[in-house]
Amino acid sequence: MSAHAGSSHSVGHGPPIANQSSRVSASVLGMFLFIASEAMLFGAFFTAYFFVRVVNPEAQSWPLEPFHLPVFVAGVNTAILVTSSFTMHWALQSVKRGNRAGLQAGLVLTLLMGLAFLLTQMLEYARIGFNPGDGAFGTIFFGLTGLHGAHVFVGLTLLAVATVRAFRGHYTPEHHHGVEIPGIYWHFVDVMWIVVYATIYLI
Amino acid sequence: MRRGSIVRITIYGVIAGTLASLVAVLVPWLPTSASEEMDRIEFTFWFTTVICIGIFAIVAAAIAYSVLKFRAADDDERDGPPIHGHTGLEIVWTAIPAVLVTAISVVSAVVLAKNDDVGANPLRIAVTAQQFAWRFEYPDETTSGSLVLPIDQPVKLTLRSLDVIHSFWVPEFGQKSDAVPGIETTLVITPTRIGSYSLLCTELCGLGHATMRAQVQVVDRADYEAFLERAASGDGAPAGADDGEAVFATAGCGGCHAFEPAGTDAAVGPSLDEIDGDEAFIRESIVDPNAVLAQGYQGGVMPNTYDKSLTDEQLDALVQYLSDGQGGN
Amino acid sequence: MTELVHSAYDSHHAPAVPPPRGLARLRAPGYLRAAWTTLLFWAFGFGLVAFFRWLAHYDPVVDWTIVTVVAFLTLAPLGFLTGIGAFDYWAYYVSGRPTRPEDHSSHGATSWKDYFRVNTDHKVIGVQYLVTTFFFFVIGGLMAMIFRAELAKPDLQFVDTQTFNGLISEHAALMIFLFIIPAFAGLANFAVPLMLGAPDMAFPRLNALSFWLLPIAGLMFLAAFLVPGGAFATGWTSYAPLASDQPLGQVFFNMGVQWAGASSIMTALNFLVTIITMRAPGMTFWRMPLLVWANFTTSLLVVIATPFIAGSQFFVMFDRIMHTNFFRVDEGGYALGYQHIFWFYSHPAVYIMMLPGFGIISEVIAVFSRKPIFGYRLMALSLMGILVLGFSVWAHHMFVAGMAPWLRVPMMVTSMIIAVPTGIKIFSWLATMWEGRIHLRTPMLFALGFLSMFVLGGLSGIFLASVPIDIAASDTYFIVAHIHYVLFGGSVFTIFAGVYYWFPKMTGRMYNERLGKLHFWLTFIGFNGTFFPMHWVGLQGMPRRVSDYSEQFGNWNMVVSLFSFLLGASTIIFFYNVIQSWHRGPIAPGNPWRALTLEWQVSSPPPVFNFDEIPQVVAGPYEYGIPGARHAVLNGGHAPVVADAVHEEARR
Ligand code: HEA
Ligand code: HEA
Ligand code: HEC
Ligand code: CUA
Ligand SMILES: [Cu+2]
Repeated sequence: MSAHAGSSHSVGHGPPIANQSSRVSASVLGMFLFIASEAMLFGAFFTAYFFVRVVNPEAQSWPLEPFHLPVFVAGVNTAILVTSSFTMHWALQSVKRGNRAGLQAGLVLTLLMGLAFLLTQMLEYARIGFNPGDGAFGTIFFGLTGLHGAHVFVGLTLLAVATVRAFRGHYTPEHHHGVEIPGIYWHFVDVMWIVVYATIYLI
Repeated sequence: MRRGSIVRITIYGVIAGTLASLVAVLVPWLPTSASEEMDRIEFTFWFTTVICIGIFAIVAAAIAYSVLKFRAADDDERDGPPIHGHTGLEIVWTAIPAVLVTAISVVSAVVLAKNDDVGANPLRIAVTAQQFAWRFEYPDETTSGSLVLPIDQPVKLTLRSLDVIHSFWVPEFGQKSDAVPGIETTLVITPTRIGSYSLLCTELCGLGHATMRAQVQVVDRADYEAFLERAASGDGAPAGADDGEAVFATAGCGGCHAFEPAGTDAAVGPSLDEIDGDEAFIRESIVDPNAVLAQGYQGGVMPNTYDKSLTDEQLDALVQYLSDGQGGN
Repeated sequence: MTELVHSAYDSHHAPAVPPPRGLARLRAPGYLRAAWTTLLFWAFGFGLVAFFRWLAHYDPVVDWTIVTVVAFLTLAPLGFLTGIGAFDYWAYYVSGRPTRPEDHSSHGATSWKDYFRVNTDHKVIGVQYLVTTFFFFVIGGLMAMIFRAELAKPDLQFVDTQTFNGLISEHAALMIFLFIIPAFAGLANFAVPLMLGAPDMAFPRLNALSFWLLPIAGLMFLAAFLVPGGAFATGWTSYAPLASDQPLGQVFFNMGVQWAGASSIMTALNFLVTIITMRAPGMTFWRMPLLVWANFTTSLLVVIATPFIAGSQFFVMFDRIMHTNFFRVDEGGYALGYQHIFWFYSHPAVYIMMLPGFGIISEVIAVFSRKPIFGYRLMALSLMGILVLGFSVWAHHMFVAGMAPWLRVPMMVTSMIIAVPTGIKIFSWLATMWEGRIHLRTPMLFALGFLSMFVLGGLSGIFLASVPIDIAASDTYFIVAHIHYVLFGGSVFTIFAGVYYWFPKMTGRMYNERLGKLHFWLTFIGFNGTFFPMHWVGLQGMPRRVSDYSEQFGNWNMVVSLFSFLLGASTIIFFYNVIQSWHRGPIAPGNPWRALTLEWQVSSPPPVFNFDEIPQVVAGPYEYGIPGARHAVLNGGHAPVVADAVHEEARR
């Protein structure tokens, strides 16, 4: 717990210096809580999945006859997304060490891989041969992958902002929340995909 | 905290609780039971009530006593004694409620198990709910729009729904269960009192929800057999027969439409006494209600499941019945 | 430390910007800009829908259901938020322009007009919340008056069935999502940062955004009355599959819940971060006032549970507009899934609607009994207990729903056990009053009203938790009685207590004590007269959500309706008192209740940045009766003898 905070020069001009009562920074904690809540949103979708596939006494086949899931293509896509987590980590390490080129390269690579993932998924949608109305199977498939796709999109938006700012030189080894926080989110999106992939395609 | 005052408040609480219980017993909280299951529910209810009245009496007595005894004058600026807690007391008021709710739980679980148990040889009746009507199918496959049960015979109802969720409840029987599309639910009832009761739908199921009722009769064995016979031969009880009036009643049309021959006066849909159209139009209006909308009414209100739930003969009979009834005669 | 908090002090005041003139006014944040941005976003949404449908060769290209969802219910509100300036700071940040963290022009209020702008001051936001929520309380209450008039006699008199169902659904939706939940958020917004010794919330701009989502959600609910087919009419629970095939008004519920839910998630996140990272020095968790504890636990509930209701409403809406099959049984969907997902939020939600009230009551009872809270630690722990248990009881709303039978007994047991931590709180409050010096001011009256009425409501909850009794009582007026005993006798009473308690702090003026007491007694009588007979009516056989009922209940319903008008009328006194006192009430001293918690140690109303210097907390918040005890030292004063030792001493 820090000692007496605040100094009188701020009286009447701005707020007193807030006491920092925890080691974790507010924005990082905020992002973690946000992710907890996002995870629960996925939880709601997984619950729907569970009901449709496991609980329902009249459960249909999975995948619904006669459709097939492109397990291999999606597997490659998974690999892409997992790799992008590593480049993200690299970007963050770089900025911490003051390596601007590494930061920029890491972010750009992550961004590109994220885009590739999203594009592949869109192509997959176009060719998959069924749509959300094809049984509860189609519904859950598009529900979960679509929800995840939306998160990839948000993640990419955050990363794009971080990249632009990285090229403008806004981050320093001391101040890089702008990279760290989208990074945390990106890792979450990544982990979530592994779960989605496993439950939808593999099991 | 002084021991004396605790004793005093307990005494006040017991007195208040006894008085409240006496009053409570005089009020007929529950409808007069007409089934074994309801008897058990009543027992659980009173068991819980006694405990709860006791608790409320203690809380109320404590509030009243404090307010009367410890009230300070407005200008009294003194503070009370700085008591921060008392571990013993805290344990007591954690443990006692825990014991009491455990008791309620155990009693409830036992009663639940008994109420779910049909015994070896139940009478099985299939109940079908749809907006806004009930249909009952007896073991010999006769169907009826009202439920007739023999007394003292355990009955196992299986509930199905054709559209949205409905709920089966006869207050005097106590038992209640939703009828859910896609799932079959069951309900056990052992009627014990001859009489006529109302079956109510208790799950909001659309505009006709409030009027989605059916008649329930508990009769003795002989009357039950007689009923089945009548139902099977087609008079009196509406079978799948070509009796338009019966179809009108079982399909629940009267929940939304006024129709003089049937004696209904609901106003959700247009009155059927003066339909502006021929038989084909009437048929279409029933099978595909949204095809042509009556003036001043909205689509999507009248169920569009009748082509599935009614047989062709029933439909013919219904259309006939409606067109015969034109002009309100 | 965060960038946000950091930057707030390290530079000076921004130069005063002259108010924009002429065309510049169209670009400055405000309602004028909101007008055109809303329209622009709407048009964009419309174009988006039309474009994609054209691309996919759908016919017709303009489907008004989808346009409603995308353009009216999603993008237009975003346009509005952009227009009033809720996103300005982030827009600057994203575009890489320098942000102006030192600009406090959106902080604090100097005139009433500032309350209609995007404001980042938690005290202003707190008041904004309260005024907005009470507005919706009146609307929701007036709806109750209309349908109570209808229910006074059997058969239909004033409204048709569709309108009736619409009214009860709107009534509940407004009361829950736009009154109780956000009113607590408003009170906490005002009080929690002050109580923690923090200059503001951790994310002031997010805080402002959370507030502005609320009027959007509320107006969305109300707008449902205007679309063909009328308002959503499936109850606040809006069960599938009924809700999937309703007139268009239903999507206004689906989407309104999303906006209200987003608002409450963001607020909860903000509270959690504030409480964890911005406590004043010396303010350990075990020295936090119980209101803070209550909001801490509530916020955890909100963050974890709320996404589930978002999910459930999305599913219903998708089933309708995208022809998915989440709950369509003939296509492999599972109808009961909706209820599980819905109640997994909505049961915790009832504690979201109660725990902050518990916090308020703890403050009020300690102060007006002039005694420390009895068993402070157990009070905090029992909140946590309710939080954990609250997640394990959702299926008690589904005892008759046809779910797996084996789930019933476990859910019954967990529901019952909640009586234990709740009981600990009730008995601790009673013990706090015991031997105290009780001052029956209005907040205390409401606290006592709460104590008795909530116990009644909680006990009827115990009846319902018992499966056999619930089987008989479910979906009858007994449930309606339970709902109102816990929500009105519980939550609303605590909100009234809180508003009266902090009124001097918020407005700098005292309310009228006699009117306050009159309000309490009329409310108390009206409340019991309205809701107590419902227990009996329900058990005897009157289902809920019916516009028409059997003759035998006619007399009692007439009684209920008459009392409900009295209950409504009693609210007029409250509003008169508040408005009148806000204008001309006597000036309030800084600490009219002689309370120890931090918000009372500053002026009324508090300075713009709460404290000149962050206070130093030296002891627990409720050390009444210990001579010279203090909770905190302000403005660099000397710390007195720490009372914690006395604390242990007194714990016998
Ligand atoms: C503020 C909101 C709130 C609160 C706090 C509660 C609290 C409780 N509720 Fe309630 N409930 C609702 C709001 C709330 N409820 C609403 C809105 C609905 C209807 C939803 C709908 O369908 O529209 C509902 C419905 C509802 C049902 C479903 C009924 C049905 O639809 O069939 C059940 C069933 O178990 C239930 C149980 C309980 C229990 C066990 C508690 C417990 O938490 C109560 C605990 C408190 C006490 C017990 C009193 C104090 C304790 C003591 C003094 C100790 C000693 C006590 C004993 C030994 C018993 N509630
Ligand atoms: C916090 C929540 C809350 C609050 C405060 C209230 C307040 C009231 N409620 Fe409500 N209610 C619910 C939550 C709440 N309710 C819920 C969740 C349901 C379940 C819905 C469902 O089934 O889905 C429900 C359902 C419900 C029903 C059952 C409907 C049905 O099933 O058919 C009834 C019936 O009487 C009712 C009545 C009332 C009344 C008379 C008030 C009164 O207390 C209102 C008093 C307030 C005012 C009137 C407004 C202010 C007054 C003025 C400005 C004065 C001017 C007015 C006059 C003098 C007329 N409510
Ligand atoms: C939920 C209420 C509801 C139920 C139940 C219902 N209807 Fe209707 N009905 C309506 C409404 C509303 C309309 C007007 C809108 C329309 O034309 O679709 C209507 C229209 C009609 C019309 C056309 C009337 C005209 O003047 O154009 C006929 C015929 C009809 N219903 C017959 C029936 C029959 C037969 C049944 C029972 C098998 C039935 N309805 C059940 C609500 C209902
Ligand atoms: Cu069927 Cu209500
Ligand atoms: Cu609950």
